[in-house]
Amino acid sequence: MVGTEAATTPAIRVAVGSAEHDRANGVLEAAREAATDVHIVETGPTGAAALAPVVLATADDRTAVHANVSPDRARELVETLEAGDVPTDDAHAVAESDEGISMPKTGPLAAGQRHVLARCGWAAPAALDESLAERARDEPEDLFEAVAGAGLLGRGRGDGHTDESIAEGWETARRSDGETVVVVNGNESDPAVGGDRLLLESRPAEVLDGALAVAAAVEATDVVVYLNEDDDLAAQRVREAVENVDAGGTEIDVVAGPDRYIAGEMTMALEAMEGADRLEARLRPPGPSEVGLYGRPTVVHTPRTLAQVRAFAAAPDEFETSAADPGSRLLTVTGDGVTGPTTVELATDTALAEAVADGEEYKMACVGGRFGGITRSLDVPASAPALAGARLGTEGGIELFDGATCALEFAGARAKFAREANCGRCVPCREGSKQLVELLRDVYDGNFQPSELRELSRVVAESSTCEFGQAAPRPVTTAMDAFEREIAAHAEGRCPSGVCTETN
Amino acid sequence: MSTDHTGRPESLPSVPSIDDPRPQPPLTEHFNTGTATDPDVGARETSSLTVDGEEVSVDEEATIIDALEEVGADEDLSALCYYDREDTDRIGPRSECRTCMVETDEHGLVPSCSFPAEEGLTVRTDSTEAEEARSVNLDLVLSDHNLRCTTCGKNGRCELQDAAIEADVEVPRYGVFDDRDEYEPIDESSPFIQIDRNKCILCNRCVEACNDVQVEGVLRIEGSGPDTRIGFQNGADEMMDSTCVSCGHCATVCPTGSLVEQDYTDAATIPVPGFTQENSIGETIGEDYDGQPNPATPMKGNQTYEDDALDGEADDD
Repeated sequence: MVGTEAATTPAIRVAVGSAEHDRANGVLEAAREAATDVHIVETGPTGAAALAPVVLATADDRTAVHANVSPDRARELVETLEAGDVPTDDAHAVAESDEGISMPKTGPLAAGQRHVLARCGWAAPAALDESLAERARDEPEDLFEAVAGAGLLGRGRGDGHTDESIAEGWETARRSDGETVVVVNGNESDPAVGGDRLLLESRPAEVLDGALAVAAAVEATDVVVYLNEDDDLAAQRVREAVENVDAGGTEIDVVAGPDRYIAGEMTMALEAMEGADRLEARLRPPGPSEVGLYGRPTVVHTPRTLAQVRAFAAAPDEFETSAADPGSRLLTVTGDGVTGPTTVELATDTALAEAVADGEEYKMACVGGRFGGITRSLDVPASAPALAGARLGTEGGIELFDGATCALEFAGARAKFAREANCGRCVPCREGSKQLVELLRDVYDGNFQPSELRELSRVVAESSTCEFGQAAPRPVTTAMDAFEREIAAHAEGRCPSGVCTETN
Repeated sequence: MSTDHTGRPESLPSVPSIDDPRPQPPLTEHFNTGTATDPDVGARETSSLTVDGEEVSVDEEATIIDALEEVGADEDLSALCYYDREDTDRIGPRSECRTCMVETDEHGLVPSCSFPAEEGLTVRTDSTEAEEARSVNLDLVLSDHNLRCTTCGKNGRCELQDAAIEADVEVPRYGVFDDRDEYEPIDESSPFIQIDRNKCILCNRCVEACNDVQVEGVLRIEGSGPDTRIGFQNGADEMMDSTCVSCGHCATVCPTGSLVEQDYTDAATIPVPGFTQENSIGETIGEDYDGQPNPATPMKGNQTYEDDALDGEADDD
């Protein structure tokens, strides 16, 4: 069992994630070459791509956070630490702590809280402090009842119970015939949503431990971790974590599905895992909790959901269990004015605006990933009901757009994505997305038909088979809510943002 | 990583090494139908529901549409892709067209053909939302259909035409599929069955008839999004190069003029001089074919799959 903390200080921690893999690896190698006594730890990414490569230098209860470190700079940091000093010169932040990344006061790491993310960038990915799974195997009912009582909701579109009580799904799986499977659905091809990949690359041991704890609570015999085909680093680290955690007899598989947006949908994930020759959504009900992988009851959770389960079990008192959506949510901030994707953690009663660094000006934001909602204001709490009330998505992405973005062009681009990327199974989604694009094109021809757009969007959202079609019209309807005049101007031949040309 | 389901063309290489408890049919070859393994959507037990205010009892295995049929409430639903003749246990529900949506107090809008007839459901067929969804979805089906009924061999015996007439569609909201550059050539290569994909509504009945009823493994669904279409499991471009045995079951279940027996392709056209469905689209494939001694295409008996890893090797004559 690898200890979570580099028990020996002085220590240098190098955060290596897939996004900055080559650069961070160079820094790691340089640090290793320069070190004699200093302990060098390879950790996962911090979630703040703008700061990468990040190096943490710890000694004497102090930690210096260094950002955008070059291999030469890494050698200097090691040498300073070898000489007995914490290298605070030019540090991004300095904390009086040797127990994790304390929050810097500014920059991407200053936003929100670091509770679920506490060990991201600090601990070796395969290291585990304490095992929730062991506790759950001893007292499975305790975990089940606690999670049911708290009303924890599933996180992300790939979860089997998105924005619904996950304990209900556990209950269904326990009731259903057959040996239950727990699927960790980490397949996400939306570049605007990075929470799951961050957890898989930084804290795979915690994700696995959460999955094994759920497996104990639902009496599952198998855990399958399902990733993207190009998730090489995540796969490698998950496999290392598998070696390192005590599975207590539960079988663990690590598999990959296609790098396609639809492959993250819960039933298409199961299809991919069964080796389907083509991906399409399954009918529901019954959902996966009842009839899932190979017809077995299957509890599907995203890494983000499992991280919440684990955080809740570790410190139940910190969860406002009377809230409709207790816990925290991971949000990835991308877009205009954002240097690199930044994944932050917000308590669900915190406004989304907290996730956005000061000084980032935006005209509009798309909240909720690929099919999120358009909004002018991020003064909306991060909880599922509040987001739904504001017609935004809960997918865990905030994309910022500046004045050079046209709301109509944006809605059209998202509708085109829906048209091209859907699985092709059901009419409202397959044909509805085509007509949605056509109706938006008609605006450029002087024919803006809001009621037809609304009618079609309603039907696509309400009668599509899976979450893809149910969410697909949201960018269009919310763009009309927030920017109706801007869209209508196009019918008169004007693009207020000055970006639409006649080639549209 | 064990792959105990190898040998499927283009299959994803990501099968976990965990047990599949389901009984496997004793087939010598894998079928690649391109379609999802749907759960059994029928109710688990007999149940009673309220449909438009009337109490209805239905047997186990029932979906909501069975309850609607009990009281005649299905009259207002197109339920276009729903197949309610023999073989219903092996064909459908595909629940593709969503022209059978109904309102339930418990779950909101649901497709009646594939939603379990749960005990105690309160169903309404006449809510504004349900009617709107059925109407819009029928128009969406029509929007991608070559609506040249007068030149079609299925004119007068077409389920889409019937549905449109019954739903009083005069002018479909989204027009019809009429961009001539987009037409797919008609597949005339088989002497027995003509395929006109411009009329296909992707209801999947033919695929299920071919794979689940006849167990021939010829047809499949391929592509995704706007490129979703009926194709052949051996990768052939046209029917003549497929492993078709010309049993005709696909044409029997096709709701439109997409799969029609060759002698009937012009059977119901309205005689407009020189204008048939074949020449109205301007391009066909496989016309150089001039007959064969038996009804099976040459490919049958000489099956070549794109992969050579079939673990239950097909009989090679």
